[in-house]
Amino acid sequence: MAALLMAETGDNIRSLVSRTAIVMPGEAALIARARGGDTRAFEMLYREHIDRVYGICLRMTGNVSEAEDCAQEAFIQAWNKLAKFRGESAFGTWMHRIAVNTVLGRIRKSKREQDRIQVVAETSSSPASIADNGELRDLSDAIDRLPEGARHVFVLNAVYGYSHEESSDMLGIAVGTSKAQLHRARRLLAQQLKEQGFEA
Amino acid sequence: MNEERDDKLTAAARQLATEIQPQRDLWPDIELAITEPAPQRSRWTPMFAQAAAVVLLIGASSGLTYLVVKDDQPVMIPQPAPEYTFARAAFGSTYTLGSDYLDTRADMVERFEQELVRLSPEERQDVEQSLEVIRSAIDEINAALQEDPDNVLLQDLLMKTYHEELNVMHKVGGVTQSVMSRRDI
Repeated sequence: MAALLMAETGDNIRSLVSRTAIVMPGEAALIARARGGDTRAFEMLYREHIDRVYGICLRMTGNVSEAEDCAQEAFIQAWNKLAKFRGESAFGTWMHRIAVNTVLGRIRKSKREQDRIQVVAETSSSPASIADNGELRDLSDAIDRLPEGARHVFVLNAVYGYSHEESSDMLGIAVGTSKAQLHRARRLLAQQLKEQGFEA
Repeated sequence: MNEERDDKLTAAARQLATEIQPQRDLWPDIELAITEPAPQRSRWTPMFAQAAAVVLLIGASSGLTYLVVKDDQPVMIPQPAPEYTFARAAFGSTYTLGSDYLDTRADMVERFEQELVRLSPEERQDVEQSLEVIRSAIDEINAALQEDPDNVLLQDLLMKTYHEELNVMHKVGGVTQSVMSRRDI
């Protein structure tokens, strides 16, 4: 659990920076070109943002194929909605929001959450934990075992650094519910990690 | 204690990777989806179905009215029989027709088949065509309801169309009885 005790690094401000950044100069041109139907420009936007979009899809679903489908769907939706992107937020933030909506929509629609739970239960390590180092994998696995509501709030709030207002808005829940779910997530994570012999 | 625990968890969570590379390149599928022409959405939407059904019903009713009055025969204006009620019909995602209606309809179809042979070939053809139009409308509305089962307008239209079918059969009975009474005289 030593990794968990590490002081916050520059990573803890990464999401803040990415969310508040205005559209990068080159990016604005790419968006304009993509809006005009240039798929090459949109591909460059995809290359720039796919890891982050896929990351949140994987953290929220805990399932590789589901996350791939969500990421694909998110970019297809983004392409179709490009005309509505006004540049009031960073393109990455806009994409993130679309990705979260896509995940929630798919869960509501197909109820594949049941499949996800089974997959997680059957696998010893979560797909997302592969991207994490050392003992952070234990935390990643524990996050994947959280109940859906708590997991979504924890991922948005604790992992991606969104405020309660932002995450509750994205998830379509009350701010109070977001706070309660985060509290619940932390309690469950602490329990899980303690059972594995770690002290949180 | 809890506060300290939460801080540690938050600190650890913020070190988790937020950017994860997919195991495969997703772009080819995305490109295919955005460059492929959007599938032509069926124009046979519930709204079109409703409009078409209304047109068909008006046509069928007009045809039947013409059939009834064309020979300047005494016109019988049959009223929907009170027993043709739909009180037990239930609509919704799994709508069903009430057994009363189904029984009534079965009786009516049987009587209708008997009455139909009394009509002239031309009149019979007109009636059969009218019913065909109405039944086609019923099929279309049912198909639209499959896609949009909770559409109240469609449900109402289906009810009215079924009712129209009964009325047509009922009218045929009236026409043939009328013809008979004239012959008797």
